[in-house]
Amino acid sequence: MFDQVDAYHRPRSIREAVRLLHTGGSRARVIAGGTDVIVQADPSIRSLVDITQLGLSYIRKAGTSWAIGATTTMAELEDSAPIRGLAGGILARAAAACGSVQLRNMATLGGNLANASPAADTAVPLLALGSIVVLAGATRRRTLPLAEFFRAPGKTVLGKELLVEVLVPIPPRGGRWGWSFLKLGRTESDISLVSAAAGLQLDARGACKSVRIALGAVAPVPVRAAGAEAILAGQKPTAGRIAQACEQVARDVSPITDVRAPAEYRREMARVLAGRALRDCAQLAGVTL
Amino acid sequence: MKKLTIRLTLNAERKEWSIAPGDLLLDVLRREGYFGVKRGCEKGECGACTVLVDGKPINSCLMFAAQADGREVLTIEGLAHGDTLDPLQEAFLDHGAVQCGYCTPGMILNAKALLAKSPNPSEAEVREMLTGNYCRCTGYVKPVEAVLAAAKAIRRAR
Repeated sequence: MFDQVDAYHRPRSIREAVRLLHTGGSRARVIAGGTDVIVQADPSIRSLVDITQLGLSYIRKAGTSWAIGATTTMAELEDSAPIRGLAGGILARAAAACGSVQLRNMATLGGNLANASPAADTAVPLLALGSIVVLAGATRRRTLPLAEFFRAPGKTVLGKELLVEVLVPIPPRGGRWGWSFLKLGRTESDISLVSAAAGLQLDARGACKSVRIALGAVAPVPVRAAGAEAILAGQKPTAGRIAQACEQVARDVSPITDVRAPAEYRREMARVLAGRALRDCAQLAGVTL
Repeated sequence: MKKLTIRLTLNAERKEWSIAPGDLLLDVLRREGYFGVKRGCEKGECGACTVLVDGKPINSCLMFAAQADGREVLTIEGLAHGDTLDPLQEAFLDHGAVQCGYCTPGMILNAKALLAKSPNPSEAEVREMLTGNYCRCTGYVKPVEAVLAAAKAIRRAR
């Protein structure tokens, strides 16, 4: 399947990996877990740059964020005590929903993002958490919000750069938080038809101080539902207000029809999942609906 | 194309193999005669090609052979100790959990890793684990029973 590949590189430093991507040009491909690159079997690939020896498998505290190395696997995320404890464990739950145990032992966080599938399971909670990606180029590093990383299905802003780390801000203290992650798929381990993550922070009066809603597989890229968030901001999350926010979700999404589901079903399920996630959040934050 | 040399521990034996840069682990294992590693979907869906790498189940169709360099790989051929079968193999036989047998090596290796991590799994855990191994004969009832029985047998032996 990869008979045309003439070099397999195992760089020992990020600098060397980036240099290999430069010299390899469009025919070089980054490889880590392999679960997307090998399945896609792009015949134009001539050289593989294996980034699993760069020390990028870690989960550590970095100031007010958790820093997660790009080659951290889904299995490592779902088993990590800090990730299970972060924001109601929504990232750990999304990682646990990424296919079979075999795939989760191989698939990496960096790969799930860089592959830029609209249905990428980890992107949805990471967007809800306001995550930042760290990209290493030949001469410098840059950081940007994950929301600006995706451009189109399969396309990111990555040039000849390597996604090296994801920074997940720890949600601010104060008030009461509730978090939820939900995924709808043909089976439990199948690709998402729709996924949703939400977070609500309530102040002492019970009004929303912070509202986070993110959705997968309902637009060309994983998205935040800004219109729906604005409807709840500063308001008490009543059943009526949540329903109103969900109507906005259904209006704002732009799903496609494919072999798995028609666009209208995805639109309707985006409304349903956003509603369930927001009601979960409200209840976890102590609201009786 | 330049060949690569990989050194790995396969079923507790040291191996040194010459591979092409784009070779997949599944192809190299079968080329070397380990036919217990089954070729199925070649897309990481069916789990027939499951092997353990450093104790963790992976789909060998989705790993470049170069990535096995320096690692410890276990295939179904390495599970029994001489004529003594692994408790999982015994349990699959005792429960009639094998029909055509194509998925069986993958199921047993996946179960081996689950029991190492979780010696007393719930039925739900066993079923979640087996979502990574497609079986079109058994309907999963007997494999689930076999894994739970093996877990019990291993705990009793300790």
